[in-house]
Amino acid sequence: MNGQIGVYICECGPNIKDRIDIDKVIEDISSLGDVKTVKRFPLLCSNDGKKFLEEEIKKEDLSHLVVAACSPREHEKTFMDVCEQADFNPYLFQLINIREHCAWMISDKNEATAKAIKYIRAGIRRVALHRPLEKKEIESIPDVLVIGGGVSGLEASLSLAGKDRRVYLVEKTGSLGGMAKKLSQLLPNQGSNLSLIDEKVEQVHNNENILVSTSSTVGDVRGFLGNFEIVIHTDGETSGFRKAQVGAIVVATGFDVFDPEENSQYGYGIDNVFTAQEFEEQIKSGNVLLKSGKPPESVAIIHCVGRKERGYCSKVCCCYSIKFAHYLKDNLSNVNVSELYVDLCLPHKSDQEYFEEAKKKGVHFVRSEEEINVNQKGDQIEVEYHSEGKTDSIVVDMVVLAPAMIPSGDTPELAHLLNIPLDKSGFFKEIHEVLDPISTPIEGIYIAGCATGPKNIPESIVQSQAASGKILSSLIPGEKIVPEVKVSEIREEFCTGCQTCLSVCFYGAIRFDSFKGISVVNEAICRGCGSCVGSCPSGAIRSKHFTYPQLYREILEALR
Amino acid sequence: MKKQNVLVVGAGLAGMKAALLLANAGVTVYLLEKESLIGGQTIKFEEVYPNMECATCMVSPIQQDVLQNKNIELFLLSELESVEGETGRFKVKISKKARYVSLVNCIGCDACYEPCPVNLDNEFEENLSKKKAISVPCAGALPNVPNIDPENCLRLNGKKKECKACQEACVFDAIDFTEKDETLDLEVGAILVATGFDLFDIETLPQFGYGKFPNVYSAMEFERLYAQNGPTEGELILRKDGDLKSIGIIHCVGRKEQGYCSGVCCMYSAKFAHFLKHKIHEAKIYEFYTDLCIPGKSHQSFYEETRQKGVDFIHNETIRVESQKDRLQITYRDGNGSDSVVPMDMVILSPAMIPGKGTEQLAKTLGINLDKHGFFNTQNERLSPVSTEREGIFVIGCAEGPKDIPDSVLQAEAAVGKILASFR
Repeated sequence: MNGQIGVYICECGPNIKDRIDIDKVIEDISSLGDVKTVKRFPLLCSNDGKKFLEEEIKKEDLSHLVVAACSPREHEKTFMDVCEQADFNPYLFQLINIREHCAWMISDKNEATAKAIKYIRAGIRRVALHRPLEKKEIESIPDVLVIGGGVSGLEASLSLAGKDRRVYLVEKTGSLGGMAKKLSQLLPNQGSNLSLIDEKVEQVHNNENILVSTSSTVGDVRGFLGNFEIVIHTDGETSGFRKAQVGAIVVATGFDVFDPEENSQYGYGIDNVFTAQEFEEQIKSGNVLLKSGKPPESVAIIHCVGRKERGYCSKVCCCYSIKFAHYLKDNLSNVNVSELYVDLCLPHKSDQEYFEEAKKKGVHFVRSEEEINVNQKGDQIEVEYHSEGKTDSIVVDMVVLAPAMIPSGDTPELAHLLNIPLDKSGFFKEIHEVLDPISTPIEGIYIAGCATGPKNIPESIVQSQAASGKILSSLIPGEKIVPEVKVSEIREEFCTGCQTCLSVCFYGAIRFDSFKGISVVNEAICRGCGSCVGSCPSGAIRSKHFTYPQLYREILEALR
Repeated sequence: MKKQNVLVVGAGLAGMKAALLLANAGVTVYLLEKESLIGGQTIKFEEVYPNMECATCMVSPIQQDVLQNKNIELFLLSELESVEGETGRFKVKISKKARYVSLVNCIGCDACYEPCPVNLDNEFEENLSKKKAISVPCAGALPNVPNIDPENCLRLNGKKKECKACQEACVFDAIDFTEKDETLDLEVGAILVATGFDLFDIETLPQFGYGKFPNVYSAMEFERLYAQNGPTEGELILRKDGDLKSIGIIHCVGRKEQGYCSGVCCMYSAKFAHFLKHKIHEAKIYEFYTDLCIPGKSHQSFYEETRQKGVDFIHNETIRVESQKDRLQITYRDGNGSDSVVPMDMVILSPAMIPGKGTEQLAKTLGINLDKHGFFNTQNERLSPVSTEREGIFVIGCAEGPKDIPDSVLQAEAAVGKILASFR
């Protein structure tokens, strides 16, 4: 090739200048073919330095640019911006780190110089094979599909819908409100009053930008951020299907509860043993009664039902069990209430006070191990538990079981449809548990509320608002989206159609074209991680900015 | 309402995440930080649970994004002075302290530290190391530009007016002793408060022996002690040298006094045990807890793994730290009321998270209320967990109450959702 490579060495004040013999570097590099010019500058990241570089790119009519300076973490973006300023494709530029990797690491100046030369030579060999990569812009649709009409789905719909953004809200049951509608009341720190949920349902129904489909499911989803095509199936009286295009999807499919019948030790099936959900209904009806029609004189509330089977703490049961105890103490005179817990999980700042108030009302809190046995004893129920190495028991009229929250039944099916992963507990898996807890590997698909794991109502609302934050920030009506530039490409002539790449792609960016018998990368979805490149047995896949020849020449030169 | 500027107070993880998400939507963000660096408390951690990922590796790309984002204007060493007006048109005044080092000219070469004649305790490092009057708080601080502490710099405090040791060492002309503190006026549509937390003062509880026995450490001290970029570069060098055969980690320090569970201490205490077991295989590790609060879906398996490594989890009703023949000992009472004594070589205390210093004053400035614990009050009761009673002002992260990193990130994103929704 007849390259016109420009090489610029930053002195970085004394940092590089004093520890690397830059003149020697220039002398060595200048002798290489395709190198048009090699120059030094006191500080390339300074305003003077950036201006100098911009002028050089134009004046020297460079084909490629190499800057030998600091870590790419520090200034790669700075110099890429300079390239754009100079109308020079930034992918024709390579930054070589001779500061952190050479000057600061090696005390012997000759050795540091030799290493810097090697690195720069390798960079020159690599950059010579760089091709210009162009940013693409894709039209996007601002509308959003929300799956699930519980608290999370309602909140997401309300915060997303607007005059320039329509929301399709799909709910599988016949009405909105989800699990929260089944509660007797909310916790005091959530405002107690359930009418808040009804208000949200009403707001959704009154919002002309939210198209609600109840008794409906999502039948098909194809596409990517900004451009999903969806099909909504509706059963019942208005049976039929609706096709729509949306830019993003919020999955808010909620949770189910552990079935205590799975383990006979909890005694579910014995008269007067109820689940928390059944007990909520009793409170709602205003009649907490035994099968005999009499009010209970003693109640045991058993926490952590299903915790050991499921392998996690559901976070909300301690607080709602305390809510039950408050209700019983406030509404039934002389009732004896015991709470059997493994550990009290009271992580919100107002939870402990709620617990202490219950204690003051005379509720017994009994620490027990997970092994609990519930058995009939005459008309009553015996609860046997173990604590601090001892076995003990209490006899009560009524038992309330607080079961673990588990993934809602249709989760696996939906995960398959959306091509998003599940975690080991069967909930939807977030892309990063710590830093990005509502995103999935598929850009534009978010998960909110209990679909990712047990949480309380305020936390579910926060998740929905967070999903809105992500969507409102990235899908702006009238603005185009710019996908990753450094993506993979599959060369048709080499692809054997083995589909190994499909199994390694974390982002669902590759599909199989069964007509041609080859794999195809969707560049709008690919994020350029390179997993497919490494997995391809026939070498058909190329990462656009990390091609085998580029890497080979770079390594060859570095090892020479 | 059209797109408006937003003020974010606090450049910890929540503040940074919110600023970036807003900036991505094309909003101009003024990001205010009272310290000389960004990143908050998370950058002090070596690893974060439950996947034991390197915190610096997680956070430093976010810090870099903030520093390089053209829509984010960063005000370091700055605090909020006053707020007037209402949502959509707040007029805010900011006081910005002089850094005395140019963020533009300085390249972070650290040539100026060595010549500085002043040696000070490094508070960022929990006073486990020294720093100069011109310094960055830790290796890898971002922006990688020092500042001069005017109270201790001999030239600026007037004790040695001719001193210019740092200026002479700087070849980038980055040091400017004439820089003055400033007051700035900004107009913003919304304000996001992300001022984080502090830790309970464990010295107020003498039964834990902190301050009395050298090898009783606070959790944050231990975080820095085992951090690769910390004062000992990750080596477990104790204040009082000796064998490390038995280490006790005490949960819930200050829980009773504060009246709430902080929700994160059980997990980070288990994280410490993970680290210690990895570092000193033969050491015996004890975790003393009152209730295990491990509410995340992956947290229980982390706890079980910790137990499988041979870490003892012991429930206690009361506990105290004493010294017996030059060795520490922990005395605890179990659920049956019987007392046990375990000798220890090191004790780590996990204190409650409490409202950040200056929260009360900031609440006054913002015209919003505090809850009974002194955290900012939000409209949780109206199921709007990040909104305050003053429209246009939002509170996120640990400024609202103790929480872990993901919950702080979620609140940041949620507040952005509320703000962007109000802009249309």
